[in-house]
Amino acid sequence: MPPKLTRRNFLARLGSGAITIVGIAGTGLFAALGDVDDAAACVRPPGALPEEDFLATCIRCGRCTDACPNRCITPFTEEAGRELALAPGARQFGTPVIFARRQACMLCNGEPGDGLLCTEACPTGALIPTKKSAVAVQESVDMGTAVVDTTICYSYNGASCGACIRACPFEGTALRAGLWERPIVDPEVCIGCGLCERSCVHYPQAIRIKPSTDRDPTTRGRS
Amino acid sequence: MKIGIRKLQILRRTVQISVLVGLFMVPIIARYHNYAASNEIDRVVEKWDGTAAGAMISTLDTAIRLLPGAEHERAGIMQRDTDAAIAYAQQIRGSVWSADIGPLSLTDPLAVAESSLASKKFPWVLAVGLFIPLLATLLLGRVFCSWICPAGLMFEMNDKLRGVLRFLELPPRNLRMERSTKYGLLAAGLLLTTVLAVPVLGYIYPPAVLSREIHDLVFATFDRAEHGRFGFWVGGMSWMTFVFMTIIAIELFVSRRWWCRYVCPGGGLYSLLGTFRPLRVKLKHEKCTECVLCVAACPMGLNPMKNEMGMECDSCGVCISSCNDDALGYAIAGPSKPIAQTSPEAGP
Ligand code: SF4
Ligand code: SF4
Ligand code: SF4
Ligand code: SF4
Repeated sequence: MPPKLTRRNFLARLGSGAITIVGIAGTGLFAALGDVDDAAACVRPPGALPEEDFLATCIRCGRCTDACPNRCITPFTEEAGRELALAPGARQFGTPVIFARRQACMLCNGEPGDGLLCTEACPTGALIPTKKSAVAVQESVDMGTAVVDTTICYSYNGASCGACIRACPFEGTALRAGLWERPIVDPEVCIGCGLCERSCVHYPQAIRIKPSTDRDPTTRGRS
Repeated sequence: MKIGIRKLQILRRTVQISVLVGLFMVPIIARYHNYAASNEIDRVVEKWDGTAAGAMISTLDTAIRLLPGAEHERAGIMQRDTDAAIAYAQQIRGSVWSADIGPLSLTDPLAVAESSLASKKFPWVLAVGLFIPLLATLLLGRVFCSWICPAGLMFEMNDKLRGVLRFLELPPRNLRMERSTKYGLLAAGLLLTTVLAVPVLGYIYPPAVLSREIHDLVFATFDRAEHGRFGFWVGGMSWMTFVFMTIIAIELFVSRRWWCRYVCPGGGLYSLLGTFRPLRVKLKHEKCTECVLCVAACPMGLNPMKNEMGMECDSCGVCISSCNDDALGYAIAGPSKPIAQTSPEAGP
């Protein structure tokens, strides 16, 4: 039987309730504000909203991770980033990221259906449903931009390599070969899929994706 | 009547256990999908022979190949039909926080509230996922808690351990708190979510935490296998597991079903949504012999003997099976009024 409600009893209940709310909400607050985010670390799946909007909308459910046929989306955890020496900031914990060096987005090439599977799986609109035709991808996907480190790239240093160029889905426009197969990026066309970074034969990778900071799939036009 | 409720309890437990097993299965299926898409199933099964990762993939492969159309004959032997296997593997994704099962999209109402308050938007996809869970909660109340929630299942098992403690003459304490704590936490959490523009409650809400941690644990097992590392491993899990273990400890030693009774913001939201549910547990006053068995049985700490099954009742039916006099049962009825007079002789 519940004990009789005396005045002292009542205060104790109220007090323990208040302590609980502060404790649990404080834990949530700590989770959300704990560390500073290292935004530079995050390449998001295609169709992702602008970063601040994305962090607000995404519920960290993992549906995009499960949907990707290519194993390139990972929930950002300490464990997932360890190999690349990246740690999630507090707000980034559990959000979907692509570590192109490990596995890059192949834009659902070869999969049935006409949409990018991760964008179709998202229940919140954090990833805007996107078709996988070259035109649609060019119009609304902006995961980042490839940047060549010419100080280490083989082609810029006396050899002729060009492995990355042949991996690029927009070969010839986004990434084209200059003299000695030197890779030349056109940031206007590059969508940041990371296939070049994934295929770079130099270690550490001479071509890397700089995550997009101004993407906006809702405007359907890339800046 | 009695037999019916027994069967219902068995069904409920079966569903709860299936959901928990499903939480482990979904990430395994996702990896199976990946390996199938790159034609690597046979390779990884062979390479990881005798390890947990290998066993998970080969068992799943065997199971999927039993499904209709998942094998075809080539050169006289039955082989995997990779496209069909992938199509099967794509039928389920996500977790209890938000899931994709066949054509159905299901999103926890708390997740919907958090996402739309944080982003100040309500896109159509959110409404699609919300529809079935919201309808179920409006009609049946906190059924998520009693039938689906994987944390709820663990808390129920933990509750049985309290019985063991009592048997060992180490009676655990049972601190009672204000029930409205959960509404306070729900309000505080949603306010923080709105102000900070981050879904805060998802970090501490046990079913979401368990979903994420199990996903990450399974993925970490495969990631390690891909690098040739095997053996027991709890990688991928975070400090949120410690939050969950703390709740388990509090419920075991300090306060019975503390989280679900007093604290859970999700439970609070479903309680609010289910206030006017038409199907609920009801007392047949004239049959009640006031034996108090149901009062001791109710995991939510309610008083079924007084017909006190308000918004907090999760319709689990434990009180119904505890009653020897057939005085409790499911009924189509509006919000119940608690009975002031408990003694039938002294009744009005
Ligand atoms: S577009 Fe396809 S391959 Fe790329 S991240 Fe999404 S699901 Fe994976
Ligand atoms: S499916 Fe959408 S909401 Fe879920 S984790 Fe991916 S981006 Fe976030
Ligand atoms: S693959 Fe790497 S090393 Fe070769 S050309 Fe491209 S960036 Fe340079
Ligand atoms: S109250 Fe919360 S933790 Fe408990 S069963 Fe319900 S949703 Fe799960």
